[in-house]
Amino acid sequence: MSGSVWRALLTVLMVVLAVAWLLPAVWVLVTSLKLTENIVRVPPEWIPWPATIGHYGEVLFSSSRTARIGRAFFNSIVVSLGSVAVVVLTSAMAAYPLARMRFRGRSLVFGLLVGSLMIPNAVILVPQYVLVQRLGWLSTYQGLIVPEAAMTFAFGVFLLRQFFLTIPSELEDAARIDGADPWRIFTGIVLPLSQPVLGALAIFAFRSAWNDFLWPLIAVNKPDMFPLPVALALLRGAYAAESYGPIMAGAVLSALPLLIVFLVANRRIVEGVRVSALKG
Amino acid sequence: MSKPTPSLTRRRFLEGATLGAAALPFRARSASAQAKPTITYWNGLTGADGKIMDELIDQFSRETGVRMEQQRIVWADLYAKLQVAVPADEGPDLALIHTVEIPHFASDGIFEPVADATASAKGFKGEDYLPSTWQGGMYQGKRYAIPLDVPQHLLYVNVKVMKEAGLAGPDGKPRIPGTRDEVLAMAKQITKGDTFGFAIGTTNPGRYTWGFHNLLWQNGANVYAADLKKSGLAEPAAIEVAEFWSSIQNQHKIAPPANANCRDAFIAGKLGLWIAGSWNFTGLRDAKVEFVAAPVPRMFKQAVVWTMPHQFTFPKKKAVDGAKRDGAWAHIRWMSDHVAEWTLKAGQVSALRKPHSDSRITGDPVLRTLLGQAGQWQSGQATPKWVAAENITRPVIENVYIGQKPAAAAMGELARQINALPD
Amino acid sequence: MKPRRGRRQGAFTPYLFLAPGLVLFAAFRVYPLLEGLWLSFTNARLGRAQQTFVGAANYARLLDDTRFHVSLLNTAYYTLASTVPILAVPLGLAVALNRGVALRTFLRGAFFFPFTLSVVTVGLTWLWLLDPVIGPSTYYLRAAGIPVRSWLADPSTAMWAIILTTVWWVTGYYLVIYLAGLQDIPRELYEAAAIDGAGGWRSFRSITMPLLRPVFLFVLVTHVIGSFQIFGQVFVLTNGGPGDATRTVVQHLYETAFQNFFHFGAASAMAWVLFLVILAFSLLQFRLLRGHTQY
Repeated sequence: MSGSVWRALLTVLMVVLAVAWLLPAVWVLVTSLKLTENIVRVPPEWIPWPATIGHYGEVLFSSSRTARIGRAFFNSIVVSLGSVAVVVLTSAMAAYPLARMRFRGRSLVFGLLVGSLMIPNAVILVPQYVLVQRLGWLSTYQGLIVPEAAMTFAFGVFLLRQFFLTIPSELEDAARIDGADPWRIFTGIVLPLSQPVLGALAIFAFRSAWNDFLWPLIAVNKPDMFPLPVALALLRGAYAAESYGPIMAGAVLSALPLLIVFLVANRRIVEGVRVSALKG
Repeated sequence: MSKPTPSLTRRRFLEGATLGAAALPFRARSASAQAKPTITYWNGLTGADGKIMDELIDQFSRETGVRMEQQRIVWADLYAKLQVAVPADEGPDLALIHTVEIPHFASDGIFEPVADATASAKGFKGEDYLPSTWQGGMYQGKRYAIPLDVPQHLLYVNVKVMKEAGLAGPDGKPRIPGTRDEVLAMAKQITKGDTFGFAIGTTNPGRYTWGFHNLLWQNGANVYAADLKKSGLAEPAAIEVAEFWSSIQNQHKIAPPANANCRDAFIAGKLGLWIAGSWNFTGLRDAKVEFVAAPVPRMFKQAVVWTMPHQFTFPKKKAVDGAKRDGAWAHIRWMSDHVAEWTLKAGQVSALRKPHSDSRITGDPVLRTLLGQAGQWQSGQATPKWVAAENITRPVIENVYIGQKPAAAAMGELARQINALPD
Repeated sequence: MKPRRGRRQGAFTPYLFLAPGLVLFAAFRVYPLLEGLWLSFTNARLGRAQQTFVGAANYARLLDDTRFHVSLLNTAYYTLASTVPILAVPLGLAVALNRGVALRTFLRGAFFFPFTLSVVTVGLTWLWLLDPVIGPSTYYLRAAGIPVRSWLADPSTAMWAIILTTVWWVTGYYLVIYLAGLQDIPRELYEAAAIDGAGGWRSFRSITMPLLRPVFLFVLVTHVIGSFQIFGQVFVLTNGGPGDATRTVVQHLYETAFQNFFHFGAASAMAWVLFLVILAFSLLQFRLLRGHTQY
């Protein structure tokens, strides 16, 4: 009745809004498919016809040194996956005793970690650069992976500890009586039970490393080590008809991994956000 | 890529490169070296010229066997990265830079000086070059760089826009303005709706220091006074330029907003008269825009043309790899010998005199225009503070452009800031 | 109560578990924080081997650094001005989505999608969309007879263009958080309110708002900490312009440390001033919105 009419109207309104919301993203996609001489046009053209996938080819396979997006894509994958691995491993290991064991300094450690969530990354930028330089890690994968992981670590501990607290302890107790040591319990029982939240953390860490801009901008001096956001940004001087195509193709490609992750794991992300944000 | 056999490489190398006798020692050494080096080469050729450089470098590698790994980012970031990378020993074997960067990089110890004997032994001699470019490679009596080409300003005239504004003759050729009054009159006639008459600069015209410098020089003013100690921007001649900078937006209303992308506006047929860098013209041809190239009009006292020569330099290394250094020299030699092709395809006029009489170059109307400006060329001042001064100039002239600050006050304040720059 | 420790759990076990993470944390979070504080009292420069203690000279110089003051003001302006849209837009969308509209998954996905893009892609796209000559938005506004000026070239609107871009970018993230919060509010509360004759707006005010308070606080604190560090959008969209109208603290810091002067001491002092400002703001928020949430 009136309620359902109202709901239908609301749906229509929301769909219109959502389509409008997507238009800038559609513009990126459309541009990436246009022939170079058709890209800068007034009035704007929304149908990329005649279409070309040439920009993607140039970005991924050409030997052109202007669009080293393919290389940057690879760098981003390495850095993001590396950071995910470090974050998930270290924060799961740290969160477990914080949730399940009693020891001296437990509340101090947890308090420090939670408190550190309030420290802005910008404050650490310069000294972190000095540190990474001293380690000889500038323009290396570890120089990107480790600081990225350290940035997400405290959040990961917080998230995982909240989840570990909700796992019933009977299973662990039973294993302990059977003589399993803490490491076996952790890897054999706790981690398998925590797959959803580990997934959520992995996605969170992946996004944050994948899209980070400021740290790689300063920590990488060799252009062939740039991750995607930096490679795209430093090409913007070429911002003109002849390079819009490759830049926009690069932008589409850089969105793909996260898009896929989010389509596959939408529910998990919501759950992860919810645990992290609300159950604190 | 299959590796050419040594003998083939050498033969082609000899065919391809027209080396002077002075380069003989190098040739012998490189032929005897077993493994050809791969040298890293940084440049900021992010425009259409980058693709041309790719092609030439591929040809160079095929002919010499020296492989080059190019790294390319926009100039401003390239310089920041050089400053950081070289002390960390992560710098490239070879870099292409702008002349005005040499004083501060040289005084910071970022670049390796080149002994005159080395340069002449490799066949690089002052008399082969346009004097200002050759001189630009020096700082405080030492050579740090070998010039390649002379990027410069010119006036692009959009044929379609001119026709629509009734500024084309019966033969379809647009009228070409030569003075400020002509520019202003034509620009006013063009400006209508979303079409603008006149702009200086590529993206963000409001903060386009290179254009601002061009106008300063036309009016006999400069960033620093002749002694290179105090800023000359508070002088009446500089203020007059700043007033003009503001007037095209605020009084005459002929120029696009401060953040407009003028290159795209020109391509889209929304801009009529455009003073911009010579590096844009091959891109305009690619985008199939109909335009005419003309000399930079005389906006003030003299028709000075802004230039900023590109130079090859050797960033410092903790330990110099002789084979790589030779490879870098070989590349400079090769590019200098093939600079006519670079000029033809990338639109950058050579710093070497010889190709200026090449009939292929004099036959191209745009290149002929560029060569015709040679008598009017001027470049930035040789002080290590030039770039720092330029950095603080950007927001100030942008405020003038958008009418946020009166010209005289802005220039006075800018001069004070420049004078306060630390040594 | 769980047993204090299992048969095989030695006294060191918890520390062994903690060790890798804490080493990471100590080396890359705690140590840099303290090192930064030290650097802010030195004349450290990139490439300078020796650095000497200069007392509060870097801080004193910040008092005269007008561009730093402008940056700080701009950053505060951005943070304050963006708070309302960033709190309200996703909330409005979340409430609407929670009212049983169809196609929820698609809608949520559409609003969320921009959040998967990197800040550079977002910036480049909007730079073009908002271009005063060739930008599509300019064209359509003009076609609709709306007088167009250049948002990004006008000091009074440039920051709002950046806010618009940011809202477009992050709304999806906060939307998902709000949705999760809304789903935790029991339906019965609304039903009971409806029986009592409360309309939509009243039940929103008396049920939704109070129960969403922890979510608000989370969004607010996250947003404020993030906003004070805004860099990427500005870097790509305006580079601080027009003039210095959108120059932010992190941009000033970045240029001081890594682009123009390589002056690490001065940049560290800026970072610590920023830190203190953020801290003050966060404490203020906690006081203002003190609820039952624990953090």
